[in-house]
Amino acid sequence: MNPQAKLIFAISLLLGTTITISSNHWIMAWAGLEINTLAILPMISKSHHPRAIEAATKYFLVQAAASTLVLFSGMTNAWHTGQWDITQLTNPVSCLILTSAIAMKLGLVPFHFWFPEVLQGSPLTTGLLLSTTMKLPPMTLLYMTSHSLNPTSLTIMAILSVATGGWMGLNQTQIRKILAFSSISHLGWMVIIIIYNPKLTLLNFYLYTLMTATTFLTLNSMKALKLSTLMTAWTKTPPLNAMLLLTLLSLAGLPPLTGFLPKWMIIQELTKQDMATAATAMSLLSLLGLFFYLRLAYCTTITLPPHTTNHMKLWHTKKPTSIMIAILTTMSTALLPASPLIITII
Amino acid sequence: MDLPLALNTFMTLSLITLTTPILLTLLSGSLKDAPTTITNTVKTSFLISLIPMTIHIYSGMESLTSVWEWKFIMNFKIPISLKMDFYSLTFFPIALFVSWSILQFATWYMASDPHITKFFTLLLLFLIAMLILVTANNLFVLFIGWEGVGIMSFLLISWWHGRAEANTAALQAVTYNRVGDLGLILCMAWLASTMNTWEIQQLPSTHQTPTLPLLGLILAATGKSAQFGLHPWLPAAMEGPTPVSALLHSSTMVVAGIFLLIRTHPLLSTNQTALTLCLCLGALTTLFAATCALTQNDIKKIIAFSTSSQLGLMMVTIGLNLPELAFLHISTHAFFKAMLFLCSGSIIHNLNGEQDIRKMGGLQKMLPTTTSCLTIGNLALMGTPFLAGFYSKDQILESLNTSYLNTWALTLTLLATSFTAVYTIRMTVLVQTGFVRIQPLTPMNENNPAVTSPITRLALGSITAGFLLTSFMIPTKTPPTTMPLSIKMTALMVTALGIALALEISKMTQTLTLKKQAPLSNFSISLGYFNPLTHRLSSTMLLNSGQNIASHLIDLSWYKKLGPEGLADLQLTASKTATSIHSGLTKAYLGSFALSIIILLMSMH
Repeated sequence: MNPQAKLIFAISLLLGTTITISSNHWIMAWAGLEINTLAILPMISKSHHPRAIEAATKYFLVQAAASTLVLFSGMTNAWHTGQWDITQLTNPVSCLILTSAIAMKLGLVPFHFWFPEVLQGSPLTTGLLLSTTMKLPPMTLLYMTSHSLNPTSLTIMAILSVATGGWMGLNQTQIRKILAFSSISHLGWMVIIIIYNPKLTLLNFYLYTLMTATTFLTLNSMKALKLSTLMTAWTKTPPLNAMLLLTLLSLAGLPPLTGFLPKWMIIQELTKQDMATAATAMSLLSLLGLFFYLRLAYCTTITLPPHTTNHMKLWHTKKPTSIMIAILTTMSTALLPASPLIITII
Repeated sequence: MDLPLALNTFMTLSLITLTTPILLTLLSGSLKDAPTTITNTVKTSFLISLIPMTIHIYSGMESLTSVWEWKFIMNFKIPISLKMDFYSLTFFPIALFVSWSILQFATWYMASDPHITKFFTLLLLFLIAMLILVTANNLFVLFIGWEGVGIMSFLLISWWHGRAEANTAALQAVTYNRVGDLGLILCMAWLASTMNTWEIQQLPSTHQTPTLPLLGLILAATGKSAQFGLHPWLPAAMEGPTPVSALLHSSTMVVAGIFLLIRTHPLLSTNQTALTLCLCLGALTTLFAATCALTQNDIKKIIAFSTSSQLGLMMVTIGLNLPELAFLHISTHAFFKAMLFLCSGSIIHNLNGEQDIRKMGGLQKMLPTTTSCLTIGNLALMGTPFLAGFYSKDQILESLNTSYLNTWALTLTLLATSFTAVYTIRMTVLVQTGFVRIQPLTPMNENNPAVTSPITRLALGSITAGFLLTSFMIPTKTPPTTMPLSIKMTALMVTALGIALALEISKMTQTLTLKKQAPLSNFSISLGYFNPLTHRLSSTMLLNSGQNIASHLIDLSWYKKLGPEGLADLQLTASKTATSIHSGLTKAYLGSFALSIIILLMSMH
């Protein structure tokens, strides 16, 4: 792509995110969301093949609808209460519509249908942006309006998200779709605790961003888009494959790795709030996710008997070592001992 | 003279004499000329056993000998004791007489067998076991004898073990006997736990006995004496050699079940349910066996079914609460049934192995002694006046007609009596009279005394035994003294009717052709369809239920389906359903979004 165009899109992305994060007027929030939508569209459809165009179209339609709903909820609230403050959302209809709008923006069940297809149609780096940066504004809005959202619908949506993410992810062979459903699962975990302790939502989001970024960047360096490619990629960078195993297990939430921290804190908080059934349901449904993470991990670190490989191992790897991947991998696997520090900071 | 001492001594001497050949073989190696030795041993034993019987007839003395006491646990003693009362003292000479004749016959019949020594030893062992059973005073010793005769029956039926039918017949015998043994063990267990004894003297006879142990006893008798329900083994047991059929399956082993009921009669007499059960079971058996015998073509099978029918009649007598009459019938039946089997054995060997009566005929002129004795035996079986069978059978039928009982049982028994006459006459006519249907070159002779003397001896017994036995038997229950003439003549009339019918029908078969398929004759020929139904059904059900429980229920259901596999299947279903919802159509997605929002608004507002 044209470097100037890339620059404009990147700056617009930053601008949109910043506007929404720092807004306290509904119009500003909406404007930021719209700028984000428009800025990422060309990045999705960078390669002009039909799948990418379709992904871009779907993304635009859904996000436009969601932004409209955000605007309408703010407007209805202003009509009824006379003020446009984001934190002062009191009209019940507005609250409900805002819940569904944010769900649509984020990709919570039952508003998640667009997410896997959009992620599948976009290149890996754009996919990373979609999973992390594009979730930041809606997450901020969620955080700011958490007291005025409907708890029941949020809980239902959260548990359904974890379930859908688990079951759907089992039946995929394309890695981007698997990561989309993993994202939906994690969103479920984030949303269930927003009513009781919003800080934990943010903690979960940050750590999720960390781990997803690691995964996406690792896959990008391996250029692995499907499971079959992943199985033969170990010959190129064997240590990176081994680290990918740990990163995936961290995404799954296995104890000595970082991904365990948010789940642990959320389960603790839910139990304290007398929501033990919900906590049990979420944990059991996350096991489904564990299965496909393990499948991915097995494909990356497939152990073969000592025999001639299917293709030559490249011993002059021209790939430069990426500092970013190194740092992110370390952080996404080894942060658990520092959990008191992290919880205090966030 | 010290009579009790003499009684005990001679009885035990008689028993010990029987064990002599076996002990000699154990001590010194092989036995020279085993058949003759064993035959002479049994003859000696018979002569010795006449003395205690005479003592009993003379003085009415009975005795009870305790040999050794096994202190099982503190309160439960099992004495190994022999009871010499009327039943055992009378049965001993009769059984030994019949066995002597059979063994003498077997020296000719099994002369060409390479393992004749083993055969005679097995027969001797059987005889010892049977006599232990008869003289047992408690159920423990009786059980020893009971199992002994069962095992011997198994070994002897499968004597020609190269033949598959013989093996299956032996297995049938053992299985059906085992089912009966369950009943005996049940009764023994009940007795041990409630009466704390297995002695026959200590069985209660005053108050009402519970039905459970009696059911056990009746089950034991059903198994051993081939009553209906556990009867298929008796016709199948004809696979064994004729001496085996004569000794075991006509005179001695099969009456063991009836003998058990006679011994434990005090228990039975108070429980009307058990008595009625015996009555009806016996009546059913006798009619069923007689029906099956009508269409049999194998001479040994006809006699086997005849045995089964007479056993049913004995069971009916038990049901009438007349144990002594049953014993009388056992004794008289032993004579003529053994003789019938020996005659059939002589015929079979002379015809070079032919057992089908359709291929015999006109043997009267060729085997005069055998066929005359066959006729005597058949007449005795039918209950011809003043032959052996008359004394017991006619008394039974008179008591049946004059007692207050189940009309159905009465009808069945009378019908079976006429059927007895029918099949007996059929057999006689087809074997002895008419045109000769045997192979052209069949050299046959009766010159060997080993053939003729046992048969004639038993014929003498068949004629006189009834008279002799009733002379010195004192009935403890009053026999019916007066009855209308028609009732008195019922047995005779029914038998005569059967004879006439059989003769007429036999004449008809020589002129008319038989109908192809008739349901009644099919029923009789296939032995009531009992064998295929029960044998196949029981094993299929057992194996099926075994597979269901072990393999399907436990392995498949509990360990797999309700565990990991079932869970995995559930997740698979959920995953597939969820995947099919994600169709990829934007309109569907947006529509679902709109629907979700509407539902949300509707429900939460």
